[in-house]
Amino acid sequence: MGLGSVLFGGRKRLKGAKLDKLFALSTAQVTLETELGLKPAGVAAVVSKPLSAGEFARAEQEIDDLLGVVAQTSGSEVRRRDDTYGYQWLVVRDRDFEDLVTGVHLVASELSSRGFGEQLLAALFAFEGRDHPTYLIYGFKRGAFWPFVPTGEGQERDNPAELRLKSELEKELPIEPDLTRWLGLFDAPLD
Amino acid sequence: MRRKAYGRDFGLSSRMFLTIFLLGALYVGFFALLLQSGASYGVMIVLLGAFAFLQYFTSDKIALASSGAKVVTPEQAPDLHAMVDRLCAMSDLPKPRVAVIPTDVPNAFATGRSPKRSVVAVTEGLWKRLDPPEIEGVIAHELAHIANRDVAVMTFASFFSNVASLLIWFGGGLGRNREGPPIWLIALVVYFVSYFLILALSRYREFAADRGAALVTGAPENLMSALQKIASDMTRIPQRDLRQMESLNAFYIIPTNVKRSAATLFMTHPPLEKRLARLAAIAQEMGRPVTA
Repeated sequence: MGLGSVLFGGRKRLKGAKLDKLFALSTAQVTLETELGLKPAGVAAVVSKPLSAGEFARAEQEIDDLLGVVAQTSGSEVRRRDDTYGYQWLVVRDRDFEDLVTGVHLVASELSSRGFGEQLLAALFAFEGRDHPTYLIYGFKRGAFWPFVPTGEGQERDNPAELRLKSELEKELPIEPDLTRWLGLFDAPLD
Repeated sequence: MRRKAYGRDFGLSSRMFLTIFLLGALYVGFFALLLQSGASYGVMIVLLGAFAFLQYFTSDKIALASSGAKVVTPEQAPDLHAMVDRLCAMSDLPKPRVAVIPTDVPNAFATGRSPKRSVVAVTEGLWKRLDPPEIEGVIAHELAHIANRDVAVMTFASFFSNVASLLIWFGGGLGRNREGPPIWLIALVVYFVSYFLILALSRYREFAADRGAALVTGAPENLMSALQKIASDMTRIPQRDLRQMESLNAFYIIPTNVKRSAATLFMTHPPLEKRLARLAAIAQEMGRPVTA
């Protein structure tokens, strides 16, 4: 957000959600699986910020609606979850990775078109096949991915593994270059 | 003036560059305007002195407020206080106030016009991510800044550079009918040159503080490994949760790529390799060779 928008625009000029780079993940799947040994866990989620009380009733209706639309147009299973921060998680399940990415994109774009684009925070994709569960986080504001490898102890992360993933994936995925923005999503309610 | 001693926070460095530069430009512009409106040369120098004086006497408060550092008591941070106590005893300094900055990026600074009125501040990230001997090296470096009276040195250095550019203004005003480049251009050049000289001086003070820390702790290798840890990419990855930090993101004003290119040109700190090389040389002198 530039200084100009701070002074003159405020909320209305906040950057909209960037969804298009999500599909880069579908093409990177081969590298992830064959070269890095990261198998898709078949689950992903769209995380969005809590709404004000006034918008809440409308949101309930819209999201029920959205879940209906998604159920009709894609084979992915979508569920709602809440977390301790009060954020909303729309958890998408699909054994086929390409369909999973499409499902996440569909959920995010539906939320966006219903006026919740500013609430979109991140998408989280789970992978398995290594010592620790490995995640790729997609920041909707930045339109870039970053790796997230929690060790399971408090808010500890396996930073060396994350930096290796960065260098291994840089050619295939738009990776967030500013490491100070690689914030984690601990205790994701994906089950 | 705030003495930021460690780390590679590009955003902070470039913001500090801009701030210091604009602040200086503001000084000069302000006094130049006063001069043109007819104030005398002597009045100018007195006012300028008063400005420098004010800056000198409020340096600690400004640094604490701008970094969000909170002064902590020995009860609140017993281990940190014990470490500062130990190092002060070794370097024969009065104990400064101790403060903690609530950020994840490992960093530290010391400020205050005299050893008695100093504050040494460390970030939470420094405390969490570095080992105790390394933290000791960092704090010893900050205490060396205090012992070297670096706040005073830098305040006086900027004072003289401000006077220098003012003199050009004033001298130019006297001879405004002479042929030659416009006065504002000369003033600008002088200001830029003195600014880079001050940066060079600042880098030299860093080497001096590194040396002081190495001598006091007797273990240059600890400061070396602390510097390497602080500079490594790993310490830039935050330990917080995205949902916790979301409310703060709106405050980023300068885009990342701009921050990065500006910072490499205007450094208040010497490059890591040079600091490591010098520390290794000190270790060699002390008869405890380490590889840089």
